[in-house]
Amino acid sequence: MRKPFAILCAAAAAFIGLTLASAQDKGPAPAQAKGKGRGRAKGPSGPVPRLSDGKPDLSGVWNGFGGSGSDAPDMLPWAAKIVADHRAHNGAEDFEARCLPGGPPRAAPYHTSLFSTPKLVLMLFEGNTHMFRQFFVDGSDHPKDLKPTWYGDSRAHWGGPDGETLVVDTVGFFEKSWYDFAGTPHTKQMHLTETFHRSDFGDMDMQVTIDDPGVFTKPWVINRSTTLETNIEMTEYVCNENNQDPGHLDATLKR
Amino acid sequence: MKVRFGVLVAGLGLLATSVPMFAHHSFAAEYDSNKPVSITGTVTKVEWMNPHARFYVDVTGPDGKVTNWNFELGAIPVLLKQGWTKNSLKEGDKVSVEGSAAKDSSNSANARSVKLADGRRVFGGSSAPDAQNQ
Repeated sequence: MRKPFAILCAAAAAFIGLTLASAQDKGPAPAQAKGKGRGRAKGPSGPVPRLSDGKPDLSGVWNGFGGSGSDAPDMLPWAAKIVADHRAHNGAEDFEARCLPGGPPRAAPYHTSLFSTPKLVLMLFEGNTHMFRQFFVDGSDHPKDLKPTWYGDSRAHWGGPDGETLVVDTVGFFEKSWYDFAGTPHTKQMHLTETFHRSDFGDMDMQVTIDDPGVFTKPWVINRSTTLETNIEMTEYVCNENNQDPGHLDATLKR
Repeated sequence: MKVRFGVLVAGLGLLATSVPMFAHHSFAAEYDSNKPVSITGTVTKVEWMNPHARFYVDVTGPDGKVTNWNFELGAIPVLLKQGWTKNSLKEGDKVSVEGSAAKDSSNSANARSVKLADGRRVFGGSSAPDAQNQ
């Protein structure tokens, strides 16, 4: 039996591999050449672009980040029960389906644009709520007395074995958001660490660590990766403009 | 195009058992993959909008009664990556659609695949467990 993550990688590869053909051809182009390792599609090759301070420039429109491929491990019993309740309703209560924020590190098959400067990396997310997140790389600390929010407060620094990995530290979440498909609960103690390592021009490896002692007995670590979008620009996605899901979902909950 | 999709289908058949952070939101909360829908009809309206593009189809039953069906496609970014454009479906097109009916028994369904007026069969960008994409 294949591991769920391997399955997700295969699916993500095929999805990421679908690109638009030229203007004359109305059908999808063939999948991109497969890279090594897990068999996922590889992005375009080339050196990692640099900022004026020599650090990696993460700028670009990146394909859908992908997710864990499995339920959270190591949940405390109260949290596992909530996940089971959500599953019993097929996740019909999901805020994301009602155009509220998905909360990081939630993934979806839409693009993420990163815009890097030496002091600030800006993340723009194509789907959900026209979301932006600011990763301050200026040495500042999280403010005291943070008002808990959907996306939290993010402060970042360069780290990793060769100083080439952006490490983003986020705190200040409130408990409402569904940060994954299962609606795994989280508490105000949730501490999210996301790392971004652009391995070459078209590829980025990421690691997500969710540390929430109110929910997990040990941190949940997820590895994922993405490739650079090479054919289309980010589009405008206004979730509320024609959202017909809530009626169907509410009907499910009443049953 | 058919050959390429065949290759992708083989790999994506395994998606059925994964539980993602990756999905938009739950397919199973709205649609029942055990209630297949397979119809042919005429497109009456296309909504090239988010969060799901939609198209509406007049279907004539054996008794001559016409029912209008509401089909859900994927979000526009997903469809664009699959080769759809806003002109792929037009009012008046004759189409065949395979998908899963809504659980609340309205005349609505999630479209897994669509045979377009020009004869091509394309996938609907669906988040269904066995969908040939995502």
